[in-house]
Amino acid sequence: MSLSRRLVAWARGKSPWIFLFNSGACNACDIEILAAITPRFDVERLGILAKGSPRHADILIVTGPVTRKQAARLRRVYDQMPEPKYVIATGACGANGGVFQGLYHVLGGADQVVPVDIYIAGCPPRPDEIIDGIAKCVALIKADARRDGRVTRRSGPAPPQEAVG
Amino acid sequence: MTRSAAWTADRVSAAMQGLGTGESVAANRVRVSVPAARVLEALARTRDRLRCDHLIQIATVDTGTTFELHYHLTGAHRGIVSIRVELPRDAPRIRSAHGILPPAALYERQIHDLFGIEFEGHPDLRRLILNEDWPESEYPLRKDWVMDPGKSYGGAAKEVG
Repeated sequence: MSLSRRLVAWARGKSPWIFLFNSGACNACDIEILAAITPRFDVERLGILAKGSPRHADILIVTGPVTRKQAARLRRVYDQMPEPKYVIATGACGANGGVFQGLYHVLGGADQVVPVDIYIAGCPPRPDEIIDGIAKCVALIKADARRDGRVTRRSGPAPPQEAVG
Repeated sequence: MTRSAAWTADRVSAAMQGLGTGESVAANRVRVSVPAARVLEALARTRDRLRCDHLIQIATVDTGTTFELHYHLTGAHRGIVSIRVELPRDAPRIRSAHGILPPAALYERQIHDLFGIEFEGHPDLRRLILNEDWPESEYPLRKDWVMDPGKSYGGAAKEVG
């Protein structure tokens, strides 16, 4: 790997920038994420920075079930992110729709629209669990940087131990 | 004596002479049932004679046999006047109230979206709540509506990857 590529990979692993997207959540997950990025839990000490544009972000955090109306918007936000990009789905709703599953306006979990790398359990997940999820996503980023490129989770090699344990 | 005490059922009945009679349904709320064809007249009278210039909401009820629209209006006096209209279920049509109360247009868009009630004379009856590719003639808040698992209701991604 060339020096410049190594430098970019190092920076990406040290300071992942996140973008928050509410795809139809009840706001509980959003409040917990806001708690995580504000001084009490303070993910910025880990280099994690919330950005206002998907074009600047490495990690997309999706909260809530995906409603039919938000699905195309979520996909557009995901498509605007530069590679390599990672998606974290928060809460029971982000995994499969949660209590909103089967409603006329709900598609289901975030993985119906975008490929999800990390699921954070909970309704809502606590801020420390969200930090844990982001840290595990960073482990994925570093593992991908070592093998020089992002892989698809379904068919690719197993994720590293620090992203699983 | 509260400010809303002035809005008794009698006073509302007097204002609605020839349209319907008021019945007191809560401490500060009077309901009047009027024929659907004369709803605009009832709303104009509520606005002018009862000084109800604020539309709180238009509630829609699916009773199984009919649709009911409840126009809840209030004003500075804090008394609430509810205009109740019944519509046939097979062809629910009513005149739009946006000419009398402009904010009604937004409620009517939503009701048209979710219940399929046609508002004649509405300036802009586009979709408001449902996704853009939702199929026509599917009204999810009707009591007899069920989701057809074999049908596409839109919003789904073509592929995930």
